[in-house]
Amino acid sequence: MAKGKKIKKIEDSILFSLAREETGAFEKLVDQYGNLIWSIARRYLSNQTEAEDAVQEVFIAIWKSAGRFDPTKASEVTFVSMIARRRLIDHLRKIYRHKNLEPIDDCFDDDALETKSILDKSADVQIISEAINQFAEEDKELLSLSIYQGYSHSEISKLMNIPLGTVKTKIRRNLIKLRETFDQDQNTVVSIHNA
Amino acid sequence: MRSLDKELLLDLLVVQSTQPMSDDENIELQRLLKEYPEYNNYEFDEIASLAHMSYHLNDKRIHDKLPSDIKSKILNSQKKIDSLSFYKIKINDFMRSLFYKPAYAWAITVLLTIGLSFSMIEFKNYENNFKYLPLKRGVLQLTSNDLIEYPWYSKESDFALAKGDIVWSNKSQKGFIKISGMPINDPLQKQYQIWIIDPIKYKQPVDGGVFNIKIVGKDIIIPINPKLPISNAKGFAITIEQPGGVVVSSQNLILTAPEVRPESTFTL
Repeated sequence: MAKGKKIKKIEDSILFSLAREETGAFEKLVDQYGNLIWSIARRYLSNQTEAEDAVQEVFIAIWKSAGRFDPTKASEVTFVSMIARRRLIDHLRKIYRHKNLEPIDDCFDDDALETKSILDKSADVQIISEAINQFAEEDKELLSLSIYQGYSHSEISKLMNIPLGTVKTKIRRNLIKLRETFDQDQNTVVSIHNA
Repeated sequence: MRSLDKELLLDLLVVQSTQPMSDDENIELQRLLKEYPEYNNYEFDEIASLAHMSYHLNDKRIHDKLPSDIKSKILNSQKKIDSLSFYKIKINDFMRSLFYKPAYAWAITVLLTIGLSFSMIEFKNYENNFKYLPLKRGVLQLTSNDLIEYPWYSKESDFALAKGDIVWSNKSQKGFIKISGMPINDPLQKQYQIWIIDPIKYKQPVDGGVFNIKIVGKDIIIPINPKLPISNAKGFAITIEQPGGVVVSSQNLILTAPEVRPESTFTL
């Protein structure tokens, strides 16, 4: 993980309330991150039942891991989504099949905007968004298919008609590039803060 | 050669953070991580999560909303788990408080003696023995101050539905397996064998006894029966062996119950 993150007050965090077993903290967690985690699950898993089971498991896992949350290492939303992605990848491995290439309905509603606002507020996500925007279109697409849409490298190779080795190299290179940008930004913040 | 290894390691770390990994890939990853201790297993998890959220933020097409019935299910399941933990703590407190009062301690000693007499009778008959196992397991859980409890993780896809845990006390040299979702075995062809990993004392896992699965869909409890004294159990495993079991296994582990969740498992 990157060093020198901006530290938010831990007392403001839902995970801190959860770790302290405060009443209503779990409900707050589901309210705050329910749409985001559901959205991640729907991208990774093919049917509603699988996604339902997985999302329940993810929330229970977050609840049980809340005491491990350290705001100096990652922001709350990053911690939550890391657990969600790790659990969903494990789940996918268990069922060992990929979702069908289903078209996704376009729709907008207030709750969706709420999810976005959590991410809008995350400075870390903004840094990464800006860095991704600098990538070539093909690189953006490759990363989206792998990280966001949950396709395996061999599926991406077939979908985009690119050799598997090239898919692997490009995804690896771009992730390393993103991490370098992120670490650099965090270190700059710390230097300014310490100056 | 070394730079090729490093490139492979980075590729595998990316796979680890983006998609399900095969057993072979995981074995290779673990080997390479030993060579490059400056890297960790979840090297790219954070950046992959941030990138995921970034794509989500910029995706104008979809906005999935958590359905309200699923939200209710999540809240209910958490309440159930929470209340179970609550009662477990209360029972523990109650048991502890009993032992602080000499009169109660004597009463419990008498009750345990009676219980022990029953259990001696019970050992003569396997069927009777079987029905007392949940109680024995509960007593072990409540009375051991060195109890370890690890969940089972599946190492093979055929056993992905297997769920349960082990409880073990080094002091009392007793433990129980609770398990469900295991395929029924034909005891004349093969049996499940329990192994106890005690690396400080023994190089090889210690035989913990054999068992059969006769029914599916129900939790079954099996006592662990170590063939050697255990000093410090670090984990448990199950293999499929010939009837009666073996002294040293050469079979694949089908389930493991280690202290820390394994990197590679078919279990959620």
